[in-house]
This record gives sequence, C-alpha cells and structure tokens, in this order.
Amino acid sequence: MIQFFHVSKRYPGGQTALDDITFDLPRGQFVFLTGASGAGKTTLLRMIFREEVPSAGQILVNGRNVSSIPASKIPYLRRTIGVVFQDFRLIARKTVFENVAYLPRVLGVDLQGQKRLAYLALRRVGLAQRLNAFPPELSGGEQQRVAIARALINEPEILIADEPTGNLDPDLSREILRLFLEVNLRGTTVILATHDRETIQRIGRRVLTLEQGRLAADQELVGTDPPVLDALAAAGEGPDPEDPQRSSGEPAAEEAGRSPEEIAD
Amino acid sequence: MKFFQAFRYFFREAAVNLLRGWKVSLLAVLTIAVSLFIGGAVLLVSGNLAASVERWRGEMRVVIYLRPDTSEAELRRLAAEAARAPGVTAVEPVTAKAARQRFQEIFPGLADLVAGWQEEPLPASLEIGLDPRTAAKRTTWLDGWRKRPEVTLVDDDREWLGQLETLVAVVRAVGLALVGGLLGAAIFTIASVIRLTAYLHHEETGIMRLVGATEFFIRGPFYAEGLLQGLIGGLLASGALFGVYQALHIRRQGSLFSSVLALDFLSPQQVAFLVLLGGAAGLIGAVASLRREEL
Repeated sequence: MIQFFHVSKRYPGGQTALDDITFDLPRGQFVFLTGASGAGKTTLLRMIFREEVPSAGQILVNGRNVSSIPASKIPYLRRTIGVVFQDFRLIARKTVFENVAYLPRVLGVDLQGQKRLAYLALRRVGLAQRLNAFPPELSGGEQQRVAIARALINEPEILIADEPTGNLDPDLSREILRLFLEVNLRGTTVILATHDRETIQRIGRRVLTLEQGRLAADQELVGTDPPVLDALAAAGEGPDPEDPQRSSGEPAAEEAGRSPEEIAD
Repeated sequence: MKFFQAFRYFFREAAVNLLRGWKVSLLAVLTIAVSLFIGGAVLLVSGNLAASVERWRGEMRVVIYLRPDTSEAELRRLAAEAARAPGVTAVEPVTAKAARQRFQEIFPGLADLVAGWQEEPLPASLEIGLDPRTAAKRTTWLDGWRKRPEVTLVDDDREWLGQLETLVAVVRAVGLALVGGLLGAAIFTIASVIRLTAYLHHEETGIMRLVGATEFFIRGPFYAEGLLQGLIGGLLASGALFGVYQALHIRRQGSLFSSVLALDFLSPQQVAFLVLLGGAAGLIGAVASLRREEL
C-alpha cells in the first residue's frame, strides 16, 4: 500500500528532515508514527500525499511512485488519501456542509448527492445535526470531527492524521482515536502521527518511531487495553451494531424521520 | 467536474468574493469603467465624425468662380463643358445676378451689402457635383480649370473633407493610445485586486489542494472574479456613456455639436464590444496575476 525505499529529505540550508527511511505498510494496517517534535513525522506524512518530495529514495503509494507523478495528477492521488491535521484546517467562512462536501463538489457530484455524502460522513462522526453550522461555532473536538468527516467523505484508501488530538482534552482525544480505529476496521489504512506514548501503549498496533529523521524502531505493540472498541461499546460509546455506519453515541432519535436534505436545508 | 457545475461554482464564489471585498473590487471596477468610458466616448465621437464626413462627401461640391465679366453665354458653354467630364454628377451655372439674389435670401440682414452696386458684386460660378466614388481622381481635371483665364478661384470641398478625415484619424489614434494606457492601468489594478484576494484565501486554497482539487478548480473563482469585475466595469461605462450622450443630445438638440459629434449612440454591437472588452481585460488581469502564483 505504502512503501518507502531509502527516503531522505534534505532542505536547501543543509538541514536533514529524514534520513534513509525504509518501511512497508500493507493495506488496512493501523500504524502509529511517533517521535519527538522535529523528528520528521510531519515531513514523512506530507511526502505520502506529495506535499513534499524526497531528496533521495522512492515512495510508492498503491504502486504509484509519488515522487515522479506529474503535477497535474497530484489531485487524483490526494483524492484517495484523507488528511487530518492538528489545527483542523477548516474554512471558517463556509458551513460544515460546505467544508465536508468539498471533494464531492470537485468530483462533480450534484448538490443532493453532496448533501447525502456529507450527511453520511458527518453521521459517522456524530455531527449530522451540525451541517449548517460554521466552524467557529463548534468546539475543538467538533471541529476535529468535521475535519475527519471531510477526510472520510470519499471513503479514502489511506487516512493520514498528524497529531489529530494534540489540541484536544483527554476525553475528546479518546473519542477521536476511537473514530480512527473504527475507520481502520472498515479497511482503511490509517497512519496516525502522535507523540502521546500513553495512547500508543494503551491501544497497541504497529509503531514507527522516528529520531532525528531516522527510523529508530519499527515494532508491533500489544496494547495494554487491546479490545478498545469492545470496551468502548460496552460503555455505550461504541458503534451501533445495528448500524455499521453509526459511530458515535449520537441519539438515533435526533435523525429519526429526517432526510439528509432536510437536515442540510 | 462537469463544466456547467464548475462554472456555476466559480461565479458563485466570485460573486461572494466581490461582495465581501466590495471596496477593493469597486476600485478595480471603477478603473476599468473609466478607461472604457473614455474608449466609448472616443468611439462615439470618431464614429459620428466619420459618419458626418461620409455624409458630406456624398453632398460634396466643387464651386468654380469665374471672372466678373463672364457673359451668360460663356457661363452656359463652360457648364456644358464641365457636365461632359467623367465623374461629374451635376452642374449648376449660377449667374452673378442669381448669386447676389441668393446671398440676399440667405443673409437678409446683410442684404444692403450687395445692393446698389453698378456692377454685380458677386461672381458667376459653376456649382459642380462629383461622384464621391471617383472624386479623388478629379484632381488633375480641377487643376486644369484652375489654370484657365476665365477662372478666378476653385473652391474644392475635398480639401476640408480631407482635413476632417485627418482629424478623425488623429482622434482615433489619440483615443486608442489613451484607452490602451488606461486599460493597461485597469488590468494592473484588477491583477492587484485578484492577487490580494488570492492572498487572503491562501489558507483556503491550500485546503482545497489537499483534498484533491485541481488547479482549474482552485483558480476558476479568481478568474471569474476578474471577468465579473471587467464586465461590470464595461456595463457601468456603457451606462454612463449613454447617460452623458442623452443629456448632451437633449440639451444641444439641433446644434452643430449634436449633429456632428453625438448624432447617433453606439450600435448594440459596439456596446457589446465595450462590455466584452471590459470582461477580457478583467480576465487578462486575473490570469496575469495568478500566472506564477503558487496559490
């Protein structure tokens, strides 16, 4: 799915961001990317969606060498990758619906289709009732969930999250992580950059550790709390077994009898 | 993305941007409106002037003034000779007496000036109509008349019509240069406004790029904004020009001014050209401003 072959990144000033990174992520894997600030996590993630190009080495995403694809093809690569940032990167002057429905609009989906897809994506993150709100009206956790809905709306093959819980309190962080795990259960490859060791140890999964631009460790951890989703479900916060798309504890009654169009309008 | 949907999105976004930054947009719109107003005024004046020249050319005459002692028989003989020349459409012999009577009819207040003379004060003449299509080729023929002993003066309309044509050409050239300069300034203003708008939306376009929007989709709204600014400027200029034309036309009805310079307003095609020129200038400004921009 994602393969790095001896990838290095050196900036013109001589600073080395990444040094000889090699790894292989199979389809459907959940991977933590960790390391101290400045270790190169963000640079590595940006290379996957061609925001950065390596100074040396090759990166294959779905068999395509992302370093050599022409500029005109980059948007098509990015449409297969959902990206979530620590600072949400939502457009403040646009509604939640407009933010989330950006990609369907770019793809030429009609307005009703956009509303339906945005509704479904927002329902997965428990925000279907906030379609017409503007980002500044939302809490930090809600904004991050909107950003996740935007990343998920096109059912991406890869979901990249760069410190997605960095600005959130522990409860919201847990909620966001649960969303990523659920997305991964549906078959999406998830790469989550974080320096939160406690979360990594609790959840487990594969962990890539960067130190000063080098891949210091590539290990498989068994979480201290492995059946995280089961535990969350038992606590009433997990996905509704009756509705595989439902991901949050949002009361079903809120949406009962309302179509996506009614909610969006 | 389907083109129709894309363009609808571009123009909706452009309209929102125009309204949000209306003060800056107004500057760009007014700059282009002023340049197109001047361009339209040049087109209007030079067009009407050229039409007048063309009309006068159709009515063009050459008057050959004869010596005072020219007899009526001589006048008729010369008239018959002139009428035989190619390209002559009409010859009217005017005797000295008829010339005096015509003067008194046209200028009754000055009638005394030509009364009481022992001899006729005004000369006999031949008023010759020339075919406008071949008038330019009659120079040698007229030069022949100038050299004849019975002729004192040849008054040739072609001379001042030629001067008027030169004036029309000068008006057009100066106008074009002025409009070219002003349009250049307008394009620069629009380019600056679009660049500013793009800068203000830098973060937004970055997000668009991240979710997989193409450059066409990202730049489209900015191009549409430039186009809209230009079209609005063109419409404003056309409206203002029509207003000024109407005001002058009503106020100066029957005057030389209205009959020569503001006889007819621009044709619908010319108005459409002005508006489209504005749109093209706006689009050029937008494209130029974003040509090397990494939005």
